[in-house]
Order: sequence, then C-alpha cells, then structure tokens
Amino acid sequence: MNPFQLDVDELEKKARSIRRKIIRLNADSPAGGHTGADLSQVEIVTSLYFRLLNCAPDRVSDDDRDIYIQSKGHAAGGYYCCLAEAGYFPEEWLSSYQHNDSHLPGHPVRQKTPGVELNTGALGHGLPVAVGLALAAKRDGRSRKVYVLTGDGELAEGSNWEAALVASHYQLDNLIVINDKNRLQLAGSTESIMKTDPLDQKWQAFGFSVTQCDGNDVASIVRTLEALKAEGQPNVVIANTTKGAGVSFIAGRPEWHHRVPKGEEIDLALKELADV
Amino acid sequence: MSNSEHLANVMVQCFIDAVSNGVDLVPVVADSTSTSKIKPFVEAFPDRLVNVGIAEQVMVGTAVGLALSGKVAATCNAAPFLISRSNEQVKVDVCYNNTNVKLFGLNAGASYGPLASTHHSIDDISIMRGFGNIQIFAPACPVECKQIIEYAIQHDGPVYIRMDGKALPVLHDSEFQFTPGDPSLLREGKQVVICALGSVVHEAVAAADRLKDGGIEVSVVNVSSIRPLNRQGLANQLSGTDYVVSVEEHNVNGGLGSVVAEIMAEQGITAKLVRLGVEDGGYAAAGDRPYTRKMLSIDSGGIVAVCQQLVNETTV
Repeated sequence: MNPFQLDVDELEKKARSIRRKIIRLNADSPAGGHTGADLSQVEIVTSLYFRLLNCAPDRVSDDDRDIYIQSKGHAAGGYYCCLAEAGYFPEEWLSSYQHNDSHLPGHPVRQKTPGVELNTGALGHGLPVAVGLALAAKRDGRSRKVYVLTGDGELAEGSNWEAALVASHYQLDNLIVINDKNRLQLAGSTESIMKTDPLDQKWQAFGFSVTQCDGNDVASIVRTLEALKAEGQPNVVIANTTKGAGVSFIAGRPEWHHRVPKGEEIDLALKELADV
Repeated sequence: MSNSEHLANVMVQCFIDAVSNGVDLVPVVADSTSTSKIKPFVEAFPDRLVNVGIAEQVMVGTAVGLALSGKVAATCNAAPFLISRSNEQVKVDVCYNNTNVKLFGLNAGASYGPLASTHHSIDDISIMRGFGNIQIFAPACPVECKQIIEYAIQHDGPVYIRMDGKALPVLHDSEFQFTPGDPSLLREGKQVVICALGSVVHEAVAAADRLKDGGIEVSVVNVSSIRPLNRQGLANQLSGTDYVVSVEEHNVNGGLGSVVAEIMAEQGITAKLVRLGVEDGGYAAAGDRPYTRKMLSIDSGGIVAVCQQLVNETTV
C-alpha cells in the first residue's frame, strides 16, 4: 500500500513543491544539471510515489514492494527531489547534489542514495532489468509491479526493443513502462534527431497494451495508471509531457536540457511555482 | 567425472546440484541452449531456464533483474557475444550495480577456430579487468572448473568465468583444493617459469615434460584466478629465474601477460619476460585449434622452442 494516497489536489500541490526543490537543487549544483528533464517528469514521479507505488521508505527491502526504475537517469535531480519529499533521505542532502562525495551523484547510484533501486545514466538499461524483476515476481507469485520510466529519445537505444520482445513473450502484465514523451533530446527535437512515431503502433506491434495520458496532469496520469488491466500483456503508458514544464522560460526550450537556473532566473522560477 | 570433460557439462551439472540443494539459481541463455549444453538441466527443472532469444543485452539485463529479486542468475552463452555485444550491460548493470550475476563466457579464446574472429574471444580478460567489483576466473581442467563454479555460486557478487570450448583432461589430483586468488604450481624448475591461463595450461605442462626430457627444468604456474589474485604468491613463483614466459589464448595486452608484467615490475623481479598469445594489434588465425595455436606459438611445440631459445641464450 502507498503510505500517502494523496488525492489529485494534494498531488498537484506536492508536484509544485517538488518543482521548487528542483530549481534550488539545480541552482546549487556545481556541475550543471538536467533541469528540463527533471521538470518534465514531475507529475509522473509524484503520482507514483504519493499515490500509486506500493512502497515506502521503511520498506526498501520488502520483497513485495513495487519497484520503480528511473531509466532516464540524467533526470536524477527530479527523482531525488521526489524521494526527499517522500522521506527516503533528509531534505538537506538536496543542496549537495553533484558536490564531491555527495549522497546525490549526477546519475542515480543505489549504493549512495536510499530508495534508488538501480544505477542508471547510460540509457536503455532500465527496461531489460525491469523485465528480469517482473519475470522473477511472476515466477515467485508476488503481487509486485515493476514501473520503469524512459525518455522518448532514450527509445532509440536498441536494448529497449530487445526487452520489449522478451516482456511480451513472457506475458509480463506486472510490468508498466512509462515513456516521458517530451519530444526533446540533447541535440534537438526527437522528430529531427530520430523520430519514434508512431510510437503507440510500435509498442502495440511488440505486444504491449498501450495507453496515453497527459504526463503533466496528475489527474490524467492517475486515471490512466489506475485503469491498467491488461492481462497477459505488458503495459506501456505514453505520457505526453513538456520538457521543463511548470516554468515559462524553461518549458519547451532545448537549451535547458543541460542548463541550471542562475541569478534572477531562480527567483523568477520560484515565483511562478509558488503555491496558489 | 571422466578423465576428460567439456567444461559446459561441468557447469550444467553444478547448476543441477545447486538447484537440487535449494539454491534459487536461474540460467539465462540467448538461444544458446546447445552452446551451453543445458538440456539435462531443462529435463531436471523444466520451467526454470530463461531464454531471451538472440539478444545478449537483454540477456544480461534480465539476469540482473532476477538477481535483484534474490536469485542467483547465470548467463550462459558464447564469450565473444557476452563480452562485446552486452559490454555496457556487463559494466553498468552487473558490475556497477554489484549484482549477484554469474557470467559464463563459453567457448572462449579461439575455441571456435575456423569460424574466425567474430567468434573468437581474445579480449575478455582484458575487458573484464577494467570493470569494478567482478571476480574473474579461467579454469584449466574439469576438477578446477567444478570447484570454481561451486565457489562462484555461493559467492555473493558478480563473477566472470572464462570457459574453454573443448573437452579438457584433468590436471589436478583428487586432493586439489581451489582457493580463490592462489596460482597453482603444476611443474617445478627454475630455468624458466611458465605462467599459463585456461586450456593452454595443458600445452604448458606438455612443454615442461618435453623440456625436462631434454634436460631443461621449467616451472608451470596455472593462473586460473585473475581477480582475486594473490599477487605476492605469484611473485614468489616468478622469483629466482632468468626467464618468464606467459602463455594464453588471448591477446598479450591486458590478459595474463600483462598481469605477469605488472607483478614483475611492481615487485622488482628482473627476469626477461616473453608474452605468448595473440600479438599486439592482431587476431587469432582462423583454423583448427592445432593450427591456430601453432601460429601463435602457444602449442607445446612453440612453448618448447621459445624456452629452448631462452635457455640457450644463457649458455652461449
């Protein structure tokens, strides 16, 4: 059971709080950050950690807990802010993001950070490992679900499609893949670099049950994820998002892939993200 | 166990024994059911094997997921594809995550002979030495292989085992006890010390016996444990000789030859070192094993010739 079980209004408030943390965390980073990717996924991770996931900070070794894998490891900053908000580690750690010998390195490291299930950062790794986790859970008769969040640019890595074949072949209906489809990657738009559309048809052809949602709307995310009931098929949710969502001068701008707010940008962003 | 055994058969029997004894071991293959000779395991435990198809990246990733779920996951497929095709999965998912996955690199070295260099694995030791956490072994005979696998299964952490692709005769007697890290001395003589890795240990032993018949006394040290490695123990074996020869069906760079060179330099051992194996920048020849080994001077005849040449340097 999720220890928070927040309703939609509370999730929206939580998402704003996490966004404010993301701004401060990146501003304090001595090594840059991935602000756009951090902000893009906020509603997804918030909905998971504060409503949907059957896991909690005091159950990180529970064999029946749900597993969340942050495959888009470069968005570690946003992930850390959510984990801190959920109580997996002290909030004070956030100001040490990417500092020397920090608990919070630039990409997730499970040996360093409570709550992190898998070291990621190189792309295309989360889904194959999630397949193994979901397969083990099915074989052991566990109720565990395995969630994995990928970017959309990340889907160009072929290992994802190897894993998709296996997930479908083994009928892993306890596997939920969420694509954070913000349509931007390091070098520009996914459409111009390597288009993945029609993405829904690709997943369907691989044997997945496919649904879509507004990935920056907690109501849409919760409604979609709670309605999943594919039996005998793995699930994919294409979450349509905006990179840098929530801050007007970051949203949709490719240059914020690897930029952090500075000076008056910090105050402007925090003002936009104030509770209403 | 018969006197000569294919190491994959040894592996499969170890798996059967482990599961029979309550170990939650899951082999993962990439269509490599014949390569791994896994049929007896499947007959004993019909629902346990995971076959992901011809897809090494997801083979390794899936093994990691199984291991994170409390199982002992063992990937079993051809070494060249395990090491090269899934290189980043081995580095990141297995090693960096420090997961309990056992990687069996089957038909390693130039076991595939005439199938040529796409199927040769002459870089696996050097690559695996560059990764953290993982232990690295190369058994030279069935008895040693069995003990290494039994150790690997009970060890909590990643292990790579380099497996030769031909039936190998027994080298050790029934008293042999494998100790991780310890090189084993198979022949003793200080005119030359030969260090050998994996199946070519047999070539080194045959060479030592022929050299002894010709009045030249050489040591043969089987270095089956690359990590952990008792470096002082190996240094002791390398001391007191003028000549050291390393022999491996692997590139001379980064494999056993490099290990020996490092230890000699670090310990101030001043003997001349000759590294036999695939030369710098080269590939193994495509051909049957006697031909390939002859071309690399890692067959017993080649080792004898190199040792005779070295000893004759002293006596001239």
